Amino acid sequence: MTPPKSPSQISVVNRLQQLDLRQVGLPLVVILMIVFFTFKSDVFMTPGNFQNVGLQAAAIACVAFGQTFVILTAGLDLSVGATVALVSVVSAMVMNDRGPFVGIVVGLLAGVAVGLVNGLVITRLRVAPFIATLAMLSIVSGVALNLSGGTPVVGLPKSFTSLAYSRLLGIPVPLVLAIAVLILAYAVLRFTRLGRYIYSTGGNSQAARLSGINVRSTQLAAYIICAALAAIGGLILTARVASGQPTLGSDLALTSVAAVVLGGVSLFGGRGSVLGVAVGVVFVTVLANGLNLLGVSSYTQMMVIGVAMILAIAADEFISRKSRTRQNPS
Amino acid sequence: MAEALSAIHVTKSFPGVKALEDVSLELHAGEVHALIGENGAGKSTLISILAGATRPDSGEVKVAGHAVAFDSPGTARRHGISTIFQELSLQPWLDVASNIVLSNEPSLKGARQLLSRRQAEHVAQLALDRLGARDFSARTLVANLTSAQRQLVEIARALAFGAPVIIMDEPTSSLPSRDASRLLEIVRQLRDEGTAILYVSHRLDEVKTIADRVTILRDGRNVRTELIDNLTTGQMIESMTGRRVDHLFPERSSHVGEVVFRAKNLTKKGAFHDVSFEVRSGEILGFAGLIGAGRSEVMRAIFGADRFDSGHIELDGKTISVHSPREAIAAGISYLPEDRKEQGLVLDLSSRENMVMAALPRFSALGLVRGRQVRSVTAAMGRKLGVKGDLNRPSLTLSGGNQQKVVIGKGLISHARLLIFDEPTRGIDVGAKYEIYALIHELAAQGVAIILVSSDLPEIMNVPHRVIVMSDGGMHGEFVHPELSEEAILSAAFSAFTREQGAA
Ligand SMILES: Nc1ncnc2c1ncn2[C@@H]1O[C@H](COP(=O)(O)OP(=O)(O)OP(=O)(O)O)[C@@H](O)[C@H]1O
Ligand SMILES: [Mg+2]
Repeated sequence: MTPPKSPSQISVVNRLQQLDLRQVGLPLVVILMIVFFTFKSDVFMTPGNFQNVGLQAAAIACVAFGQTFVILTAGLDLSVGATVALVSVVSAMVMNDRGPFVGIVVGLLAGVAVGLVNGLVITRLRVAPFIATLAMLSIVSGVALNLSGGTPVVGLPKSFTSLAYSRLLGIPVPLVLAIAVLILAYAVLRFTRLGRYIYSTGGNSQAARLSGINVRSTQLAAYIICAALAAIGGLILTARVASGQPTLGSDLALTSVAAVVLGGVSLFGGRGSVLGVAVGVVFVTVLANGLNLLGVSSYTQMMVIGVAMILAIAADEFISRKSRTRQNPS
Repeated sequence: MAEALSAIHVTKSFPGVKALEDVSLELHAGEVHALIGENGAGKSTLISILAGATRPDSGEVKVAGHAVAFDSPGTARRHGISTIFQELSLQPWLDVASNIVLSNEPSLKGARQLLSRRQAEHVAQLALDRLGARDFSARTLVANLTSAQRQLVEIARALAFGAPVIIMDEPTSSLPSRDASRLLEIVRQLRDEGTAILYVSHRLDEVKTIADRVTILRDGRNVRTELIDNLTTGQMIESMTGRRVDHLFPERSSHVGEVVFRAKNLTKKGAFHDVSFEVRSGEILGFAGLIGAGRSEVMRAIFGADRFDSGHIELDGKTISVHSPREAIAAGISYLPEDRKEQGLVLDLSSRENMVMAALPRFSALGLVRGRQVRSVTAAMGRKLGVKGDLNRPSLTLSGGNQQKVVIGKGLISHARLLIFDEPTRGIDVGAKYEIYALIHELAAQGVAIILVSSDLPEIMNVPHRVIVMSDGGMHGEFVHPELSEEAILSAAFSAFTREQGAA
């Protein structure tokens, strides 16, 4: 017979439970992967490759952090890739005309506009997020292709494209940007009212409404944030390829959702942390980079990433079922 | 007395039902106003309108004498109305403190958008202390709490909000008696401080002790509002049901036969240990104890919903092993869970489909469901249980008590040898309670072995033939009718704890 637990005991137990396998699992896998690739490839552990991975991760990270907001509200944004393409084309065209600063601002605004439409369609017209953003993917891609005439917009100002390769305190600027976005996203989700409302909307939207939370504005905000962060990702990619590409980021919807889910965010909403998503992004990019170095074809890479996703989610499900039967709340 | 909140000539229809018809209710500052009525009478609908969660078809709501348009629960909260809904509305993946301050978060000085975690925990802890909630902390994840603990969090939320009007829809229905009396104490304090409290309950004894005035709804109409002292319990029941109810419990039958089910030394670490008992055909075996004593865990293990570590179970003299509810049902064991919303019903399915869900093989041929047979059986069951509402519509649209009846119907249709009822009358009105007891007795008379888990003392005293008391996961006494006594059951229920304190 156990005596009734005191609150302090309980909170220690709780914290141990919260720090379960799920939170150490993926980082562990990432470390193992890095060790593996270091042994298998001479190039992997070189500064040049680091820069490479960092650049790749930066854009994916911004998009995935945005996706996190939406998925936490139990939503989904499949249009992030198209948003990236639109931002790329729009910012490139404006930039060639009016200079980098205006180009960046207008690009970001284009992204926000997509998020606004997504959010309104979902909250006002009540179209399911999956369908709404799938339709927007088609619409926005079409807009990007129309604007650019289907060809890349070239001749971007050097001052903009060089950003991709310049450094701040020795760190590539895109990576600095991604880290700043991470810190900001973490702070918003953790320390602000909006953050609480996002978790609540996804955790139990009916309860959130009854608690006096404006569920629809919360969802709207999440889609806008998602698209705005995707726009930042789009600008990073545009600088890297030094052109406005109407087909940029076509695989980002899949990759961002993969990183979010691998990072432990529940697709049902309400649980997970953007820090986990950061690890998910590292996982996805390091895996792709390592396989590239080993000469694995990109087709095979797609297969590997798919399998990794299934394994990660199955493992997550297994572990959470274990811990559920252990605690057995009844 | 100042009028705090009122509904004036409110009418509300749902497809197929008139939930409220021309109902008026005035709630004064500094009074406890009870709202009672049978299941489906419209209590929760009225509350939902007062809380801004539902809009009336006609009529209006006034706060402190001024008409207001509540377009969302948020608006009502900003007008100082705090509501504890019948169906709990907590965030499972946030911790207790975040839930308690949700939508009313304390912020850091000078930065309205930034939350003060320290202040939140402080506010939450104050409210929890006031309720005497000591077995969990402000940092516990709500998903890890029992339903009684969640109910306390919900109440703490209302306390922390400090609203001048608090509406409570059956706040004690899932609380152990100790916490319930504590809550009544707090309700009294709040009233004395001038808070207006609208209090819905099916526990008429509770209403009698706590309320100043009572409003009785029947079929969506306000049949009377009266000072509580002018009404006897009998009169309340009569107004609620429209008829006289003389007996609260049916007679026990005396045809107890062979042993149907036997459990031997069931043990599950951290939940229960050495639980052994038998149930005979025609017998009703009660399981008493405090909420959290491990009764539901034992039943879930027998039903194959959870594993146990050691021990075994026998049905009709043969040892059986069930690894899943499906196997248990096939073997002839049915379990009606206490938490209908999470375990008993698929709320989006029609009540009809819910009722036959566990017995589909009997109602289908070649994988096709026999619609007509399902309709006739479920219609008969609906009549038998007196379900108010449309069986063809999602169970979601039924009132809380009527959902519970559907769960019971599901158990009855399954043709079990052993039927386990876990808190079957929680949230059920007096009249329907009697009918449910009568059904339990009728099943027993047909030779079914029955286990009744209940925290309701009058029920455990008057329905079973025999009562086992559990305390902290172990068996702490067995009493056979007519030697049942409240004192004996209560002291056995607390025995695991008193012994410990004696030893400490
Ligand atoms: N969303 C809905 N759609 C359709 N019908 C509904 C809905 N909500 C309630 N009803 C119906 O309105 C009537 C009143 O229900 P209500 O929940 O107010 O009853 P109640 O008095 O709270 O009962 P209980 O004691 O069982 O909780 C019932 O007939 C119910 O079936
Ligand atoms: Mg109700």
